[in-house]
Amino acid sequence: MTQFGTWQPKIRGKLFYNWPQGACEEALRFTSAGQLGVEPYDMAIVGAGVVGCGLAYRLSQYDIRVLLVDRLHDVGEGTSKANSALIHSGYDAKPGSLESKLLHEAEADWPGLAARLKIPLDPIGGIMMAVTDEQERQLEAAEKNAHANRATDVRILSATEIREREPNASPDVRGGLLVPGESLVDPFMASIAYAEIALANGVDILLGADIAGVELGQPSGAPLHHLVTADGHRLPARRIVNAAGLGSRRLADGYGGGAFDINPRRGQFLLFDKSARPLVQHILLPVPTTHTKGVLVAPTIFGNLLAGPTAEDLPLEDPAATHTTVEGIRRVVEGGSRLVDGLARQPVIATYAGARCACNQGSYVIRHNDGAPGIVTVTGARSTGLTASISLARHLIDGMQKELGLELSPDSAALDCRPDSAWPGWWRRPFENGATDARTDHGCAICFCEVISGGEIRDALDSPLKPRTMDALKRRTRVLSGRCQGFDCQVPLAEIVSGHTGIGIAQLTKNGPGSELVVPGQAEVTA
Amino acid sequence: MSCGQHFKVAIIGGGPAGIGVAVGLAKRGIGPVVLIERRAEVGGTPMGYRKKPGGVPTFVEWTRGRVVFGEELAGRMAKRLAKTDTTIRLSAQVTQIDPVEKRLTLLWPEGVCDVTADAVVLAAGAREQTPAEKGWLAGARTARVGFTRHITGWLDGNGLLPARKPVVVGSDLIAYSAAAKLRAAGSDKPVMIDRRRSPSAGLFERLFFRRWTRPDWSGDVTAAGIKGDRSAAGVQSSDGQDWHGDGVMICGELVPNTELALLGGLAVELPSRQLQLARGQALSEPGWFAAGNVLGGFHGAQWCYFNGRQAARRVANFLE
Repeated sequence: MTQFGTWQPKIRGKLFYNWPQGACEEALRFTSAGQLGVEPYDMAIVGAGVVGCGLAYRLSQYDIRVLLVDRLHDVGEGTSKANSALIHSGYDAKPGSLESKLLHEAEADWPGLAARLKIPLDPIGGIMMAVTDEQERQLEAAEKNAHANRATDVRILSATEIREREPNASPDVRGGLLVPGESLVDPFMASIAYAEIALANGVDILLGADIAGVELGQPSGAPLHHLVTADGHRLPARRIVNAAGLGSRRLADGYGGGAFDINPRRGQFLLFDKSARPLVQHILLPVPTTHTKGVLVAPTIFGNLLAGPTAEDLPLEDPAATHTTVEGIRRVVEGGSRLVDGLARQPVIATYAGARCACNQGSYVIRHNDGAPGIVTVTGARSTGLTASISLARHLIDGMQKELGLELSPDSAALDCRPDSAWPGWWRRPFENGATDARTDHGCAICFCEVISGGEIRDALDSPLKPRTMDALKRRTRVLSGRCQGFDCQVPLAEIVSGHTGIGIAQLTKNGPGSELVVPGQAEVTA
Repeated sequence: MSCGQHFKVAIIGGGPAGIGVAVGLAKRGIGPVVLIERRAEVGGTPMGYRKKPGGVPTFVEWTRGRVVFGEELAGRMAKRLAKTDTTIRLSAQVTQIDPVEKRLTLLWPEGVCDVTADAVVLAAGAREQTPAEKGWLAGARTARVGFTRHITGWLDGNGLLPARKPVVVGSDLIAYSAAAKLRAAGSDKPVMIDRRRSPSAGLFERLFFRRWTRPDWSGDVTAAGIKGDRSAAGVQSSDGQDWHGDGVMICGELVPNTELALLGGLAVELPSRQLQLARGQALSEPGWFAAGNVLGGFHGAQWCYFNGRQAARRVANFLE
């Protein structure tokens, strides 16, 4: 029998939240750089998105002192949390490009990686659907392009073949392209699993620390740089990797990094109820235009149906970069309905938007010794960052060995997997596997829509990264993410978190300071 | 409760409707009956409206002609339930149903377990519509966007005010009671917005709540977004109207909890999630009945209780 809640490995790294009066225990609170030790880091990674976490995971296999730092209060909380939750086969990349190479390698990695790291993955395959004559004419070129990307299993399907596979396909479908290499994935668990293993292997993780600038060291030999946080802490590191996503430009300005422009592209998504899931059997992709891959309709690994994204260019500082709009939602329904008949009748449970980190200089801009020796910029992951995170990490490490003179020796004690007990509860239902024998709270559902128990919440709170925000728990357990969107479970969840951690219930936040669940600064009222 | 146990009737939901069914069956001498409630106490939604001095009573007890606190009304119903021989399962959630065999799969503190019955009554209540379900409200996903359920949970359950400058979205009786509750607990005068031109609560209902507050009303909002970075800062319509606040409360406009029916393949209309009734309170599969707010619309606690009593009559007829 699997022991649930037992993924509590020997943790060799340090974990701190830079959260002055916030909702975490004193033992986790960052107050001075001294808590991280006096030795400078061999490598500091700024940005704990899927790219930064993937790199930290790979580096944790070596004997090297690494710091992973992020301004937010969980890993994978920025661009990495709002995407289409797919592993791409790279069939539509530009042949010969770095993106094509990375995706081709990653596609081979993912089944094994997901099994080792306990990231839910479902290889259901995709179909690109042509719904106009013009689109149908593009299929042959798309097939050729896929083969040039070494996706040799991609082939053209007739309209009849598509209807056999997808009975609810739009009546307009003319033909399509079968893309067997596309998979569904739990997009949150990738960053989390990477970071948990990295932490266990000795990578230090500092969350809630906004890096406002970089103090460059003397440019002789191997200079010692310092990351400076917005609240004045100085973190010493010999090498710095800028994996700050949408914040990468601002950080690069701090060390005189070369020219690149980040052009955030907002993508709005609609999440349909689980009742809509049987409508679709594959990931249904539209024929892309030069501007965007278009609105796809895909199941999610969680059992919902997803449609999106839009592609709207927004200014970098626009606060609405992750807001949805009534107009955008309408366009997603229209786009999705071009592929699937009856989609518009299905109940929508949530809408969300993400800002892809699109770079005007192309995808995957990597610069070594950028602005100063020992500094690496990696940006422009666009929409394939999740898939490529594993191959990109290897590629970055190779590059740093060549260009930065990084010397690595394997750490023989390093973990490279998580145990079965680390599977998220929604995937490997603990209560169906005897967990209630030991603890009855595994049999008390608090999220009724997704059937998530109080036991699963407590296990998540005790997991290596000590998640302390509602959104962090949501990404780990699926609490708050069912059809009622927290109607039933929000307050009971807060009560469990407060009871288990001792943090005052009025202090709890959705995603860090400024997002308190009730208006801050109040004494108890009676009414 | 041992697994595989068989009951004459199984009731899903322990709110006013479910209690009404149990009481009605007991009066007819039908048993054994099991009532399955997913929360830790019976009483349902009204139970969350705790009785507090200075608070706002919002539940009409027609039989005594009074307006009372939900807790009082649900408490009286719970007492009536306690006098019956009904087997009550708390913290027990039905996760799957087999409509033909009338088998329910439960998750409860001791694990997963099946029960069967000769008849099943769905009394699962309703919840408030989410912004996405409304279709006209989009915007940011921030903290302090909540439902009336959260207002009762924070205020009555934990003594905390969810918002000081609330923007209430919705205009039915629930929305007015939410606004009154917040105001009585010390919030500023709430702002109320809705897609409708005039409030959906009746004049008499609005007059009742004037004692506590008369919300600043704006109707005819056809497309709007929630503002804010990490916490809600109000609502802005696409034509530029701006309602400032520090919390957005999504109130009223109920959606029936028909997920189980949908999961088990009983007839449910989409996207409204309304149960399709064969006749009266009978569902599409023989031996399945529904009572209370799961039938759709919005009804008070006492209506639901009596609707449950009526369902018990129908169940009794079916069992004969």
